Formats: sequence, structure tokens, C-alpha cells
Amino acid sequence: MQKIEAVIQPSKLDAVKDALVEIGVEGMTITEARGHGRQKGHTEFYRGREYSVDLLPKVKLELVVKDEMLDRAITAITTAARTGTIGDGKIFVSKIDEAIRIRNDERGEVAL
Amino acid sequence: MSTNESTGSRMRERYQQKMLEIRGAFESGASGAATIAARSKAIDELAIGLWAEEVQRDRRLATGISLVAIGGYGRGQLFPYSDVDLLYLLDGRLAEKDVKDAIRRVNQEMWDSGIRISPATRKLAECERFDEENAEFAVSLMDHRQLAGDALLYRKLATVTIPKLLQREQKGLMARLTELTRARHAKYGDTLFHLEPNIKDCPGGLRDVHVCSWMTLLRGVGPEATGRVASNGNADEDGEFGKAVEFLWLVRCFLHYRHERDDNSLDWQAQDAAAAAGIGMDGAAPPNADAAYWMRFYFRHARRVERRVSQMMGEAPLDKPRLKLLGLRRERRTEPLQQGFRVERGRIVLDALVDGGSGAPAHDPAQDPDIVLDVFEAMARTGCALGEEAEQRLLLALPVLSAQLEEGPALWQHLQRILTGRHAGDALRTMHVLGVLELLIPEFHGIDALVIRDAYHRYTVDEHTFVLIDTLHGLESAQEGPMAEWAAQFGRVLRELPHPGLLYLAALMHDTGKGRSTDDHAKESMTMAQGVLERLELDSYESGMVSSLIANHLEMSLAMRRDIFDRQTVRAFAGKVQTPEALRMLALFTYADINAVHPDALTPWKAENLWRLYMATSNYLDRNVDEDRVGAQEESELVHRVSALLPGQRSAVAEYLDGFPERYVLTRTPEQIRANFQRFQRFAEDSVQLDFRYAPGVSELTLVTPDRALLFANMTGALAAWGMNIVTADAFSNRHGVVVDSFRFTDSFRTLEMNASEHEAFVKSVHEVMTGTLPVEKLLSGRRRGRRKVPKVVVESRIEFDDAASSHSTLLEVVAQDTTGLLHALSLTLARQGCNIEVALVDTEGETAIDVFYLTRNGAKLSQDEERELREALLRAIEENTRS
Repeated sequence: MQKIEAVIQPSKLDAVKDALVEIGVEGMTITEARGHGRQKGHTEFYRGREYSVDLLPKVKLELVVKDEMLDRAITAITTAARTGTIGDGKIFVSKIDEAIRIRNDERGEVAL
Repeated sequence: MSTNESTGSRMRERYQQKMLEIRGAFESGASGAATIAARSKAIDELAIGLWAEEVQRDRRLATGISLVAIGGYGRGQLFPYSDVDLLYLLDGRLAEKDVKDAIRRVNQEMWDSGIRISPATRKLAECERFDEENAEFAVSLMDHRQLAGDALLYRKLATVTIPKLLQREQKGLMARLTELTRARHAKYGDTLFHLEPNIKDCPGGLRDVHVCSWMTLLRGVGPEATGRVASNGNADEDGEFGKAVEFLWLVRCFLHYRHERDDNSLDWQAQDAAAAAGIGMDGAAPPNADAAYWMRFYFRHARRVERRVSQMMGEAPLDKPRLKLLGLRRERRTEPLQQGFRVERGRIVLDALVDGGSGAPAHDPAQDPDIVLDVFEAMARTGCALGEEAEQRLLLALPVLSAQLEEGPALWQHLQRILTGRHAGDALRTMHVLGVLELLIPEFHGIDALVIRDAYHRYTVDEHTFVLIDTLHGLESAQEGPMAEWAAQFGRVLRELPHPGLLYLAALMHDTGKGRSTDDHAKESMTMAQGVLERLELDSYESGMVSSLIANHLEMSLAMRRDIFDRQTVRAFAGKVQTPEALRMLALFTYADINAVHPDALTPWKAENLWRLYMATSNYLDRNVDEDRVGAQEESELVHRVSALLPGQRSAVAEYLDGFPERYVLTRTPEQIRANFQRFQRFAEDSVQLDFRYAPGVSELTLVTPDRALLFANMTGALAAWGMNIVTADAFSNRHGVVVDSFRFTDSFRTLEMNASEHEAFVKSVHEVMTGTLPVEKLLSGRRRGRRKVPKVVVESRIEFDDAASSHSTLLEVVAQDTTGLLHALSLTLARQGCNIEVALVDTEGETAIDVFYLTRNGAKLSQDEERELREALLRAIEENTRS
């Protein structure tokens, strides 16, 4: 089992969700997040006042998939979230040792 | 098996048989009242039978002990799986150890019968004591019935001990009951609106029904007894409340049987099942009634109960913190507010009669629409609730009110004051429950308790509307918690609104379209609002603002689902809102609308995104005007719409529009553009075309004329000379030098308001200034000067230039203290410095004037030196104007 954490643009969330559902991934956790990488913050002027925009809005998706689904899930995310510009986001993948469904104590991939 | 055991077993079987019969009767349509009474009776039989056995076993138990049903059981209202409160009352002749075994056996038998029994053994003297830590016991004693045992002992309890306790502790008990109820309500977020409500403990649930009956009982026993008959919460005690209680009884029975335990949560599946079974609908449900339809009934009934309990708690003796909260120094302080009503202990009380004046007979204030609307204004302003008696009188007076209510501007003034009051949400809820809101705005009726059944919408549509209004008013004061920073930020925008009443009116109407089955509720709400706007006789600017806010109320949420840092997103959104005032209103509206969907729906993350979109759009509206101009060959929809109004003049229209900033076309209706075009066509007879529209608040003057030097300065000078304070203005010109300037201004000295005859003189003198027959300096020399007001907020003057905003003009932004004549001082300075105003956008936020000019000098952008020189001249001009 693999865990995918994807930090993407909020405006791409619907497209990414749809793409994942299409390949059969339905369970995911979505968190409102902020951050910046190479896409640095900037300064906005509004009515003579200055506002610095240090951390840009992002959403973070977390999902755990079977090993054989990993590549398809990553492709779905990158295809749907890509605009080709700085700030499109990042995907992190890590290995998961165990998954347990609390309701009935099912373990392993069946618990996903 | 012993005889006792076999008798106990027989009684147990009989009880269980009886339970099956009661369930069968319920499932065949028995009422909630019948079901709970039947279970109570069945338990009576069992308890009495079991006790008789004990007395037979030990004759000493015939006196000195009494079995008393208390709490819900005492009321004779036992739901299928409710626990059973049983009091074993002793008078001291029997020691507890003598009765212990008998009590244990009775309790055991009841447990074995599947009854959750809550037994208590007390001596008579103990029942008279009031323990604040265990007020629940004293409360449970208020509902009592003797089951078996020593009748004399019970009589002492019923006629001496309990009345003495209640009389002595009346205030303490009422305060404790209020405190417990408030704490319980707080646990449920102080709202009856839950996706899966607990119908016993939620606000508006059955526990509140009990609190009402206890409060009524306590009122009847204290030294200030109101003479009311003590009630046991019977369903027939009054119409609507009684119906609500019967409905809740029925639903609770249904839930108990469904869950087969004392589980009162009306969960999602139970709602579906209750709707399918038509629980409490009395055959009134249409064939396709679903859970959303059924929940609408639930919320209406719960609202009735919640209202009653709030009212009763409000009329209970006030504790010190609440007195302080209401700003009342003494409990009995009476404050007359206006003619016809007064405030007593934080509640509004109607006078018996009011003087009719000029010999007319005195009349009931509840039947006088002006007084009734004043009452709601006072509620909105002070946060005082309406007294129970006043509510009853208003309900009775509704038909008379309906016949006497006048529409038009007077009603709008009343409604505006209600909507902008700090506690408008509460005043509107009361108006809604009493039917007064529907009397003023019948369009609101369709969303009464309307349920949007998904896992996201927490409130019914009417309550969502009130929560939205509460949220907006909440921005007026400092808040705590994670949203504090954003509430303060948006609060500043709210305080800057020149017409907050329009925002609140749009808020009130924005979801009325949901009451009709259409695909586009925003459009439907706008259509429904048109009728209201016409009846209230709002002027075209105000109507347009409210209509577009309703029609566009989802646009900002939609734009937030796009990339808010993308210029195209901002540009498209700016095209929809069109003006800074509409943007401000929409941003505030969106903030409050999200918050009113669900208590957790608005997060700092969403508020921040909303703010960024607002900021980017606001900047776009100010800083991109000069770039986007209408072309001669423009084929846009807007140009087509204008051309359609002027058949046969398509090329003349195109030529007229050629070179105007797009904003000119976007911020005006096709009809307004047609009128301006027609004024342009009349240049041959008079090259200064003025259109004046007077309104009591903000009037508007539009000038269409050929461009020339000092035009803007002369116009602003003429307005300043008449004491008019310009709130917003814009100035545009096309490629052929036709200027369209619009000014919206307030009448500082009320010259136009007090003297209708002066309207003509005003327009005439402006015309003379613009044609050059009257020098503006002459007009200004006779200028009236009011007493200088000390500004509430001191605004530091700031001048900024931006050379990048436009490809051919220099953008100048002036931020300064808003004073009459400021714009004239600025434009005169610009003219003297040889600057040409290509576009002007003038705006006022509270006491801050924010004026943006796109300038050229000799057809080009300004140089750095020219900018420096201009900056100094402008700062001097601002300073001189402030001093003059």
C-alpha cells in the first residue's frame, strides 16, 4: 500500500477529485493548506494599503492506494492538476505498513 | 417456584404483553399521547401489583411508606423505552433497613421486566430540602402521583411539603432551571437546527416542553403568582404549541420503537422512515413527501417550542450577569421607548391604548402599523425581546394590520431601520414567527422552514437568511477566535458601505427563489425581489444594486473555485460586479452566506481566499479601466443590446461608443447608454446636456458634453458651491471628445430636500457654469459653509502614481480626508498643472476619499519631475481645502 500526499492549487481540486474517482479511487482526505515553494509570495496594493501575500492557498489531498494503483493515481493527479506554471504543486509518495478498518477490524488492502 | 415468584412472573408477562399491545396500537395509528399514557398505566399496574405483594408479605408496610411516581412518570407520560422515576417516601415511622428488602424486590422485578427504573428513597423532611447541586430532584418532585401505600403520607407531600418547597425556592428553582436550560442549549450550539437533532434535548425538544410546564407551575406558586393555572404540559393547552408537543410525542415514540431503546436522535435514516410512515402528518402529506418535506414540519414545531421556552426564560427573574448584559440597572426598571410601548425588565411591553390625537379616539397600539414597526425597530436596535402578552396581541391584530399597512418609501424607511439594527436577526425571527414579515414581504413565505437536505446545509432556508444577517451585524464589533482577524478585515469594508440597508435587503430576499422549483434560484429570487422593490419604491440605482446582488450572489463563491491569482478569473469576475460598491457588498455577502450554511463552513482559509479575490478585483476595477476600451468595430453583446434599443442607428451608436472605456458600457444599463447617446445627439441645440435625478439620500447628476479644459473642475466646483458632497463619480470620454461625467452626491445642507423649488435653480446654475455664462469662482465665493465637523477618523493624505497601470496614461491615486470641495480642489490643481483627465473614478469609504485619475499631459504620460511637482501642488490644495 502506498500513501499519496498531493499539494495542489485549490482551483484544480474538482478536476483532480473527478480524475481519481474515474480510476476507482473514492476515499481521500482533503485539507485546506497554505504554502510556498519556488512560487514565492508577493505584495498586493489595495486602496493605498499594502498587503503581503507570503503563503499561497493550496489544498492537500491524502489517499492510500494499493501498490498496483499507484502509477495510475499519480498520472490522474498530475494530468488534472497541471497548468505548466510554477505553483502547480507537488506529490509525495510513501509506503504504508498497515491499514485497519475500525468498524470491523479488517486489515490490509481490504480495509482501504 | 414459590407463589410470590409465580405471581411476579405472571405480572411480568402481563406487562410485556401489554407493551406489545401498546406498540401494535401505535403502529396502527394511536396518538403519541395515547401511547405514553398507556405505558404509564401499564407500569402503574405492575408497580401497584408488586407493592401489594410486599404489603401482603409484611403488613408493617401498609403505613409509613408511600410509592410516588415522579418526573415523566409522575406526569403519566412514559415513552416506550423511557426510564421510570419512582419515589419510596418514608415518614420516619419505618426505618430504611425495614423496607430495604421490599424495595429491592420491587425494583428487581421491574428491572427483570425490562424497565429502566430510577428509584429514590427519601424521608418526607428530606423532600422539603432544596439542594442546589441536585436541583433536578426538586424539579422531578413537581410532577407527582401516588401509586400505592400510605395515602395520608402522600397527601402531606402533595399538599404541604411540595407547595412549601416551591413557594420558598421559587426564584432559586426558576433561576436554576433557566441556567440548566441555557447550558443544555449551549451544548447544542444554541440552535434547534441540526442535521440529526436529538428531539428530547435539542433546543425546541421535549425537555423544553417540560421546562415550559415547570415554569408555568412555578409562576403560579410564588409570591408573584400570575394567577395562571399550573400546567402539566398537556398537548391541548393551546393550539400551535399543543400541536408541536403532540408531534414531538409521536416522533419520540416512533424513535424509541425504531431504535428499541431510549435513543432520541432523529438520524438521517430515521428521518426517511418517519417521512415514509407519514409520522405526525395526519394525512396532510402529499404523495411524494420526502424526508426534506417531513423535516420542514419538525422544524416548524421545534421552533414553536423553542420560542415558548425562550420567552418563559426571558420572563423568569433575571440574574445579575443578564441584567448587566441588557444594560438594566434594576430588575423593575421601566423605560418608555416610543409612543405605544415601553421596556420592562428587558422585554418590550405594549401600552393598553394610545392617544389617537386631534380628538380621535384612543386605539390599540397593536393595530397601528407605525407603532408595530417601531416595536420591531426597537427590538433590532436594543436586542430586547417582545413580551408574551405583546406577542399575543400582535397575533390577534394581524388582520387589522394587514388592512392598514401602507407600502412605499415610508415602509422602506421602517424596514431599513430594522434591517440595519444590531439585533436585526432576532427582530426578523420574531416578525417571521408572528407572520408580520410575511405581511410585509409575502415572498418570504415560500422558504418558511424549507429544508435543503444534504450533509452540508445545517439551517432551514429562512433561518439561513437570519444567520446571514446576524453574521453581517457580527462584523460590526470585535470578535474572538480563529475568524477574528478576518471578521475585523471585512468589518472595515462593512463600515465603509454608503448604503448598508441595500445589502441587508438583498440578504433578506436572496434565497426566496428556493421556495419555487426552478433550476436557478438566484434568478428566481431576483424576479421575486422585483415586486418587493417596486412596492417599496426604491429608486433605480437602489433597485439595480439589490437586484444585481441577488442575481449574482453565488458569483464570488464560483470565482473562488477558479484560480484567484489568474488575471482572467479576476477580469471575468470584475465584469460581473462592475462597480466597487457592488464588489464590496458582494464580498461581504459571500462571507456571511458561507458562514450561514454551516457553523464550520467558513474557515480562515476560505476567508483569506475571499479577501484576496476581493482585493484583486478591487484593484482591477480601479487600475485597468484605461486599457480596455470599446472599439469602433466592437461586436460585443453589450453594444448589440444598446443598438437593439436604437433601431436604424447602429453605426451612429458604434461611433458614439468608440473609445469609451469598457467600464462605461459595463456599469450602465443599455437604457442609460441610450439616454446618454440621445443627449449627445442634441448637442446642436445645447452642448451642455444635464440629467438630474433627485433622491432623499443620494442624488445623481449626469453631464454629457464635448470635452474642454477645466470641465471636471468646473462641475465639481458648482456642486461644492451648492454644498453638495460628492460620494462617487466617474468621468469617461470617447475617441471623439464626448464626455460623460456622473456624480452621486449627498445634500449637506438639505437644500434640495427642504426646497423642491430649488431643484430647478440648482440645475440652471450648474448649466450656467458649464456653458461659461456664470464663473464658478463667483458661485464659490457665495458658498455656504457649514460648521466644520471634527472627523471621527483622521485620514492622512497620500498621493501615489502608477506608470505601469495604463499604456498611455499615468494613474494617480489620491487618498484623503473626505471634505466638501475636495474634488474641486483636486481637479482644479490638475487643470492648472496642464493635466488632462482621461478617466476619473471617485469613491468614498466612510471618511476616506479615494480618487483615481488617469492623466495625460500633452497627450503623454507624466514625467517623474511632473509627478513630483503635481504631488506637492495636490498636497497643498488638500491642505488649503481642509482649512477653508
